[in-house]
Amino acid sequence: MQSDTISYDNLDGFDSLNSLNGINSSDHRPLPKWLVDQKSGLTSIQPEEIHMKEDHSLKISSIVTLTFIILLLVFLTYYFNRKHKNQAS
Amino acid sequence: MKRDYYRIIVLAGLVSLACTTRVSEWVLLNAPANQYSLIYFHQNPIDETVRKQNQKVVDGIEMANIQFIRVVRSEIPEPFYGLYYGGRLFSKYKIADELKGLCSSPLREVIAAELMAGKLCVMLYLKTGIKEKDEMGLNALRCAIESSPFGKIITMHELSRNSKDEYHLASQLLNVEDDLNDIQEPMLFGIFGRFKALEPLLGKGITEENIHLMIDYFTAECSCLIKDALPGTDILFSGKWDNPQTALLNKIIDDNPSLGY
Repeated sequence: MQSDTISYDNLDGFDSLNSLNGINSSDHRPLPKWLVDQKSGLTSIQPEEIHMKEDHSLKISSIVTLTFIILLLVFLTYYFNRKHKNQAS
Repeated sequence: MKRDYYRIIVLAGLVSLACTTRVSEWVLLNAPANQYSLIYFHQNPIDETVRKQNQKVVDGIEMANIQFIRVVRSEIPEPFYGLYYGGRLFSKYKIADELKGLCSSPLREVIAAELMAGKLCVMLYLKTGIKEKDEMGLNALRCAIESSPFGKIITMHELSRNSKDEYHLASQLLNVEDDLNDIQEPMLFGIFGRFKALEPLLGKGITEENIHLMIDYFTAECSCLIKDALPGTDILFSGKWDNPQTALLNKIIDDNPSLGY
């Protein structure tokens, strides 16, 4: 069975946890993993991280509107030109 | 189509329920105790006396989280029983009489009843017999329980590591980690679920802050991280874990929702 403890060689950063558990640095006894996780907040459900997203909606809206206007202009020009031609003939 | 829709709704409800259950309750309801193995090692064919003796042992451990196995080994000088958990040897017994009370004892009965009654956990304090050392940890434990909002649903028991009545329980607790037997310090075990013992706080590490962290662990929402890697060692116990009472923790959190975070 694997012991439910963490292993470490370097005591840097673990001193505060060691003192919490009453372990002398010379003992080199790993802390229970549940205590380390609980201390670091690993076992609690982490809140969802919110990231800012770039807003492209204005750009997309402008392109769509511009395209629509151009297409409408082309259609109307073609339509009226054709109508005018028919009337002239 | 409609049936699938209802299935999805029910499934989503179950998933959301699972995520709001607290660690102590989830483990009691969903995590069966891991099995021990009691192995009878022998070299020569066993006679009728030994067969009867082993049958008696099997009858005594029938209801517990343990299986009995016979193994023939040529290199052993005399037969013995070995108690294993997860491939690790916990204890050796020369004769069957030493196995009396292996899976049951008065204190274990009391603790199991408390867990089944919906208590959050049981704090089991293993004493060394050295008064100065034992008192320091005991005071911290009493203060932590008194100051905790969950104090009323936590019970506390003291046990001497040299207890004759609870010899097997003390021995199993001292095997939760492989070096505990050599450490002459008081130890605090959090017992939860179906008699699962967390790796203990020991000596000067039995502080109010650490005990509160232990309580926080039991009251935490049961995340997948916890479910996938449950800490602790199951203690041998001969009893049923069907139909436990509703966790008393839920009422406290319902009355004070801020305690649930």
